[in-house]
Amino acid sequence: MIKHWVSQTLAVMRLELRKTFFARRGLWVYLLAFAPVLLFVAHSILAPRDQDRLARLAKQHPASGPALRSIRVGDSREEVEKAGEPYFQRSGRLRTEGVRGDTLAKYTDGRSDFYVLFENGSVKHIRRIDPESLSQGSLIFATSFQTYFLRLAVFFGCVGIFINLFRGEMLDKSLHFYLLTPIRREILMVGKYLAGLLATVVIFTTSAALQLVLMMWSFDHTSIAEYLAGPGWGQILSYLAVTALACVGYGSVFLAAGMFFRNPIIPTVFVLLWESVNVFLPAILKKVSLIFYLQSLCPVVAPTDVKLPAAWKLLISTVEPATPLAAVSGIVVLTLLVLVASGIRARSLEINYGAD
Amino acid sequence: MSDDQIRFENVSRFYGEVLGVNRVTLAIPPGITSLVGPNGAGKTTLMNLMTGLLQPSCGSIQVLGVSPSDPERLFRMVGYATQFDSFPKGLTGYQFIFCFLQLFGYSSTECAKLATHAIDRVHLSDAAGRNVAGYSKGMRQRIRLAQALAHDPRVLVLDEPLNGLDPLVRGETISLFRQFATEGRHVIVSSHVLHEVDMISDQVILLSGGYVVAEGQIHGVRSEIRERPMQILIRCDRPSAMASKVFEQDHVVEAQLLADGSGLLVKTSDAERFYRMLNQIALGDIRIEGVAPADDNVNSVYEYLIGSQEGAR
Repeated sequence: MIKHWVSQTLAVMRLELRKTFFARRGLWVYLLAFAPVLLFVAHSILAPRDQDRLARLAKQHPASGPALRSIRVGDSREEVEKAGEPYFQRSGRLRTEGVRGDTLAKYTDGRSDFYVLFENGSVKHIRRIDPESLSQGSLIFATSFQTYFLRLAVFFGCVGIFINLFRGEMLDKSLHFYLLTPIRREILMVGKYLAGLLATVVIFTTSAALQLVLMMWSFDHTSIAEYLAGPGWGQILSYLAVTALACVGYGSVFLAAGMFFRNPIIPTVFVLLWESVNVFLPAILKKVSLIFYLQSLCPVVAPTDVKLPAAWKLLISTVEPATPLAAVSGIVVLTLLVLVASGIRARSLEINYGAD
Repeated sequence: MSDDQIRFENVSRFYGEVLGVNRVTLAIPPGITSLVGPNGAGKTTLMNLMTGLLQPSCGSIQVLGVSPSDPERLFRMVGYATQFDSFPKGLTGYQFIFCFLQLFGYSSTECAKLATHAIDRVHLSDAAGRNVAGYSKGMRQRIRLAQALAHDPRVLVLDEPLNGLDPLVRGETISLFRQFATEGRHVIVSSHVLHEVDMISDQVILLSGGYVVAEGQIHGVRSEIRERPMQILIRCDRPSAMASKVFEQDHVVEAQLLADGSGLLVKTSDAERFYRMLNQIALGDIRIEGVAPADDNVNSVYEYLIGSQEGAR
């Protein structure tokens, strides 16, 4: 019997995968998934160009790196000029990082960029832009992954794919073909869920992997080898696993939304709001959200110094992240509960296209 | 205990406050059974109920002893061609049947064999490789029929199966139904085309406003409508003499001579007594060439039972 159910599940998956991967109405899911890849492509192209530009400027306007690093606020203009020749200079009412001055001079030693702001002939502010390191790159990736990729791309990608597994076929008036076969409704639901899961996992883990590759692309081989020998592989695998778990959890929620609600937009908006306000929720409620467990599993903590009004910052509640075991168990248990409820709903599923 | 009937026990189905079918009790034997009734009478609801696409608000249904809520057993022996004119996207006719059969758990070889056979039976082999989206209405109707009979079911449920078919294919399809029926299987058909229903049905179920108005063989249903005298057409050599003879009977309410003088149309409230009386007349000097009921058909039954209700609304 189990062999028979497995063959029926595979038959459902074959039919669904064709529709999920190649549906015209699913194109936006690819755009959503691969939009950050485009950003990392742009970064991997622009970062080396910026380094080349600084190297070129350093040749034309030589300056000593150690001397530039020793400049302090209050130093006179003459002392600064001993460090080398600025590649850019401008006078007037100027502002750098919110600090006002009357002259701005830019120096480079070929690797770092130095913005020195003078007022009345002495240094008022220094801004140093160092070449990006892999650890900075991984921090940028962590921020992009947790704020955009998990919360928006994977979330809405799962909305688009899983809600349509049942609701989309109701709207197309083609769901009845499945219900006219000797297949248990629960098996149908599982087959559809697994097809959606396979599609989302392939799409989103591919995107995450590409982003990670592109994040490392602009660094030299030595830095990459050091990163991979250190935390690199662990972080990469963690990100891919978190992406897959996000598809597992959100997939089950939106599959159920498509089965229980005639208009799944309402539960989608509710889940979106719930996941978005998670940062403000008290500790106990935080644990009733997928994003809490997903973020707990992320290997790098994204910086939280977002530019929020002070009053809002007071509302942010901090809580210890869940242990990996608790986080994975939390997501799996929630998924199983939602799938059991969906299975029960599937048994009483009716074809009443007129009402949909 | 095996059961060869489709049974509805006091089944009702409501769509919110709207009535689908109400208190339906039926026992449908093998053969071709037609569901007849105006739009909204409950024909499709009844079919969807017996195939589990809808669940009854109350009552119980058994199809050859199996509940429609058990699709694993039900659809091994039931094939249903719905009237929903939409298909999974991007599939050819052959792929559509093949994929459908894969869901039964058949091997690829079996699926290929059954799909080819089903498509052959509905004479769609030439178009099997074309995308269903490009099919004409009649071809889509036939591929739905192929899907319903591909797994060789014991019960074939067909919602308006002759819609959109050209006369030649109509004839072939009706023969297919007849073949199924002679093998002792059930063919449940819904139709608006009464003369076709008359031609193909072993029994009819007349529905109106969600209620079963009448069920059974046409002759039996007609004879139950006692308030409408039976009309009998008699071809004979002396229609006037025949008219005066039949008027001697108290159950004859009307006799009308045919315009061409070839016979007369008699209306009687007791057909059985009339036929007995006719045997005696035939022994006399009037030569009777033919006797046939004139309103012993679905059309008349529909008119008497449903037409009058429609008119009353």
